Amino acid sequence: MTTPTAHIASIGTALPGDPVDNAALAKVLGVNEEWIEVFIGTKTRHFARDLGTGTVRWSLADLCAQAAQKALAAPAVDPAAIEFIVLGTATPDTLMPATVNQVADQLGLDQVPTFQLQSGCAGAIQALSVGQTMIASGQYRTGLVIGGDVCSKHLDVQRDLSDAAPSDLVNFVLFGDGAGAAVLTAEPAGERVALRHVLNRFTGLGSKPGQVIEWFGLADRYDDRQALTEDYKAIEERVPVMAVEILWELLGELDWEADELDYLLPPQLSGRMTRRITEELGVPTAEEISCVADTGNNGNALPFLQIEKLLGRMGDGHKALAVAVESSKWIKAGFALEKI
Amino acid sequence: MEPIAIVGIDCRFPGAPDTGAYWDLLMRSADGVGKVPGQRWDADEFHSADGAEGHANTVEGGFIGDADAFDNEFFTISPREAAAMDPQQRLLLQCTWRAVEDAGLSPQRLAGTSTGVFVGIMGNEWAQLHLTDYAKVTAQIGSGNGYCMTANRVSYHLDLKGPSLAVDTACSSSLVAVHLAANSLLSGECDTALAGGVNVAVTPALSIFYTQAGLSAPDGRCKPFGAEANGIGRGEGVGVVVLRRLRDALADGQRVYAVIRGTAVNQDGRSNGLTAPNRWAQQDVLAAAYRRAGVDASEVVFTEAHGTGTTLGDMMEVKALGHHHAARPGKPLALGSVKGNIGHTEGAAGIAGLIKVALSLHHRVVPASRHATKENPALQLKDNGLRLLKAPLRLPAAPVLAGLSSFGMGGTNAHAVLESAPPASARPGPRDAGATGGIGCGVFTVSAPGAPALRRNLAAQAAAVASRRVSAQALSWTSNQVKTGHRYRFAVPAHDTAELAARLQEAAADPDLLARLTAAPAGKPRTAFLFTGQGSQYGGMTAGLYRDSALYRGFLDEADAALLPHTGRSIRDLVLDGDEDVHLTRWTQPALFAVEYALGRTLTELGVRPGLLLGHSVGEYAAAVLAGALTLDGAARLIAARGDLMQQLPEGGGMLSVRAPLAEVAPLVADEPLAGVAAVNGPEATVVSGDLGVLARIEADLTGRGLTTRRLTVSHAFHSPLMRPMLERFALIASEVGGGVPEIPVYSTVRGRVLDGEAMDAAYWIEHIGATVLFQDAAEALLDAGPTHLVEIGPQPVLSGMVRRLGPRAQAAAPAHVLPVRGAEASGRDLADALAELYRGGADPEWAAVYPAEERVPQPLVPYVFSDEHRYWAARRPTAADPADSTVPTAVPAPSAAPAAEATAPAAAPGVAVLGARAGTPADPLSDAVQEVIAAVGGYASAEVSAHQRLYEDLGFDSVMIMELKTRLDERVTGLAHITVQDLLPRLKTVADLTGFLHESGATVTATPTAQEGRTA
Repeated sequence: MTTPTAHIASIGTALPGDPVDNAALAKVLGVNEEWIEVFIGTKTRHFARDLGTGTVRWSLADLCAQAAQKALAAPAVDPAAIEFIVLGTATPDTLMPATVNQVADQLGLDQVPTFQLQSGCAGAIQALSVGQTMIASGQYRTGLVIGGDVCSKHLDVQRDLSDAAPSDLVNFVLFGDGAGAAVLTAEPAGERVALRHVLNRFTGLGSKPGQVIEWFGLADRYDDRQALTEDYKAIEERVPVMAVEILWELLGELDWEADELDYLLPPQLSGRMTRRITEELGVPTAEEISCVADTGNNGNALPFLQIEKLLGRMGDGHKALAVAVESSKWIKAGFALEKI
Repeated sequence: MEPIAIVGIDCRFPGAPDTGAYWDLLMRSADGVGKVPGQRWDADEFHSADGAEGHANTVEGGFIGDADAFDNEFFTISPREAAAMDPQQRLLLQCTWRAVEDAGLSPQRLAGTSTGVFVGIMGNEWAQLHLTDYAKVTAQIGSGNGYCMTANRVSYHLDLKGPSLAVDTACSSSLVAVHLAANSLLSGECDTALAGGVNVAVTPALSIFYTQAGLSAPDGRCKPFGAEANGIGRGEGVGVVVLRRLRDALADGQRVYAVIRGTAVNQDGRSNGLTAPNRWAQQDVLAAAYRRAGVDASEVVFTEAHGTGTTLGDMMEVKALGHHHAARPGKPLALGSVKGNIGHTEGAAGIAGLIKVALSLHHRVVPASRHATKENPALQLKDNGLRLLKAPLRLPAAPVLAGLSSFGMGGTNAHAVLESAPPASARPGPRDAGATGGIGCGVFTVSAPGAPALRRNLAAQAAAVASRRVSAQALSWTSNQVKTGHRYRFAVPAHDTAELAARLQEAAADPDLLARLTAAPAGKPRTAFLFTGQGSQYGGMTAGLYRDSALYRGFLDEADAALLPHTGRSIRDLVLDGDEDVHLTRWTQPALFAVEYALGRTLTELGVRPGLLLGHSVGEYAAAVLAGALTLDGAARLIAARGDLMQQLPEGGGMLSVRAPLAEVAPLVADEPLAGVAAVNGPEATVVSGDLGVLARIEADLTGRGLTTRRLTVSHAFHSPLMRPMLERFALIASEVGGGVPEIPVYSTVRGRVLDGEAMDAAYWIEHIGATVLFQDAAEALLDAGPTHLVEIGPQPVLSGMVRRLGPRAQAAAPAHVLPVRGAEASGRDLADALAELYRGGADPEWAAVYPAEERVPQPLVPYVFSDEHRYWAARRPTAADPADSTVPTAVPAPSAAPAAEATAPAAAPGVAVLGARAGTPADPLSDAVQEVIAAVGGYASAEVSAHQRLYEDLGFDSVMIMELKTRLDERVTGLAHITVQDLLPRLKTVADLTGFLHESGATVTATPTAQEGRTA
């Protein structure tokens, strides 16, 4: 008996509210609009909180459920057939209950195994990996894989940034919010895209974290720690190198030649970084599928946003490869898709 | 057998007021059993731990909440009649209504159909209380009792013409009812069947019987197949399912909970005692059901057992099942019984099981069986191929088969085989959605027979919608199918569920808002379309509507295609791109025509059919197409030529708007060959058109007299003598195009009146160019024809204001103004708003045209929430005292709160009742007497009866009550001696009618009633 292959049958994404352009963001934060365009390269993003008042308009669970609902609404999909749910996120609504269970509740799903993977940019791919493994086990035939983040939790609109250093400023202009979801099936259905391989590997032994997001409890809530810190220098240095390694490892694993690739889904750090990494990946024959310039870096929503864009173009027999790097503790991630 | 689909469910069981709560109770493995409510009987009085004669060994049982509450006003049943009705009839009536709604149907849509009603029932305790006091047996008491009436009342109130019967086979009654319903569907006797069961314990008789027969559990709880099982606990319940042939349900796109694959019924015959269960007969009925379903026993994954929890009963059932399953391969048959949660609901036991199985297949999980953890080892379940469900059983996504048993005490056994619903594979895909129509925004509708009912149901919908994650359009579509039958119509557009929930909540909480969003139309609306003229155009007009509404897109594209050969450029693109060329009359005229044609056609496609048409100047072109006087192509050619020829005329003309009557302006123009009166828009609104020099002279004259004037920004002097040079060339084209007599009355602004068999032909359109626009005359004639709604068809409201300034008409009430396009920001939502207003006004839109195909998917909505304000129960409880000496109680309405006073609502459109407003009544003793008499006959409080209420429809009068009405009137009023009931009948529409008739007859009041008479049954 052969191991069942996981297939993407449908996809859904959710971006909160209207896009916020650089002019609007610059105005609220008191930063230079041109600086955002030149050094970050992101044009618009979406926020789950009201930019003017800071009020929360959508929770992570809301966004994930919206995205999942769209994926479940696809004609090839029977919502009643969902047998498991996996959510990858770095920014859960609460530590308990796990957001994945709130999502299940919103979707009206009950009596199914749920998983939540705590991870940054690799969380969505880790979720795909778990989903793939569950289907490969032969025990499950249909499941829901979700990724999403609400980065605007750290967007303090009250803060005066006029004197902030660029490394601090970046945190305010880089990120966005969103969610994505895919229905995985054991048989080809709907979009009929086979998940050929998933890579998820910790490679950070002994390395200082490139990114840290703190959480605070009753005992340390008045600590003067910065909630979000990034080592941008390390990220700029290491991510492109890791991305190239991931690409070649995946190709080698699949026995695919680089020029067989029809599409490349590069890491989505920011408009500018993504452009740079894509050049270094050096697969000019493959069409680049990116979204970060329009969506902002919304973490675990990104791979789904890329897949959604990809599905609109992919023809029978087309191959695509996605690369992601989680710089928190240097995780290599990626996956390969083929439309059949 | 052909599969039967379960498409609708409603129920109430102990600890579970509705279907959702029932499922929740089952999944929590909760206990619905508790102490006997004091209202039924004094449990302690009848209690004897060792089961002495005339006593029960338990004080507990499964009782439903609010068994006494009944929304008699909803069903227009008088309080007196409601009080006489067996609560089983009342509960079943409400439950059936909700089940039909749950099936995605407005119950009114079943009226007149051959729909069958099959009710399982075995308790007749209400009759035992009320039909034994012979002196007090009334007509209402008679029809309020009896098994047949439970089913027949449903058929009566829902106007169902198919078979209608009650089934009593003791505890298997309601599954036998389902069996008969399925057979009725299969034989083609009916196309929809309502099957259910009901059981309400009014007396302790059965508890005593079970005790005396040694079958009663001392703790009042069934413990099916449990080691501690020690008998039956009584339970109550009501449940109804809506059944269709599966192929019909799928063809109609109905949601299917589960499918009935096969049913069978048999009898023990002369077995080991009349009431003893019989393993062989049970074994046979299982075999018959499997055979009929065409399944092998081993394919059945789980079975909902009868499972009463009596030693013998459990043993027999296990042996009968074991015969079929002991040797099965793979996992043992999963077994459970809902009786562990809610007790033995007797006549409703079969339907309780059926609903549990259907919900299990629907949710793909079988709840654990309560009391299963300690199973009875003597039953040897494992050896019989059975396992008791100690935890919920998750079902695979594949098709699953289930069994359901129900066995009657007298030996009538029933079994059913069910299967999970076929996978939802046939859903329409979003890919081909673009072209399928819709207006881009749904209209959510809720209707109710009165304002408090509407508020209650809005609040219920708001709460349910808020937690849903489905498309607001699909919810709205379902609401249009299910929630539109009642007199008070609420409608509101919404883009998403969050907004919808908020708007429903606001309306439920705010009486003023509710009054604005609700109306109770007296009849169908008479709708007039008013087509706007030049000056209303702007760049980008209707772009939002074009973006949102595929329906509008289709018609604007159609108009564009018709114009293109004559205009040489796309008028659609010009309009949508916001090109300022739209102000050149060459483009203005075809652009307005295209927009108005598309908007008019969109509305007619949505089911808004105009009865009257009026177009201001060039607005008449689109009106003529809608009236069938011009073809689209003909009108396109004419309007393109008209605009083009006018553009070619030399500039230098202008138009002057004057705030003065025609009489004051006309003399100034009379002698001017280069000027004329272009339009009379109102008594103080006259437009002069012509040469600029002449206009300056006239303007100076008018200003000198203190009159206000305003220059219009136009390129040419329309409707003036300056148009003459184009007439000849236009006439050539017009004569080729021709034109016919309008099929819908057109109020012509050329003639200033309705066209009377006159053609809108070449001569008409030539005259139209130079003629004064007699808007005032045409509009006044139109208003005199009594339209209820004026819909302005144009890129922004202009005529609406002009009509308002004409002032009120003597003969007709002021119509409502409906504005599908309110201006530059207009979108699909404004159109939805307009449609909502027309629906409230009595129109019945083609809802299918409002939504694209992929949104026309039924979604579960909370069924109608009935009022629990009125409560009726037996006046006295059964007592242990010698029944021969006791006075048998008479049914009476329980005291209920006085109806809440209604805030006065703002005036609504004509022909529309004001929400909740009560007509003020000047002191009139005769009127008061009539209302008091009617209240007394119907059993209403005097304050509940008001002049506008209809005797039959609102107050539930019937012929028996009319006879009594006459008798009581004779007592209260003099001067009626010569009047017969026959004379009265034609004048009994409303309370006020009757009062009027009595006034005419010269009747006067004789006596004053006692204060309490209105409440005595």
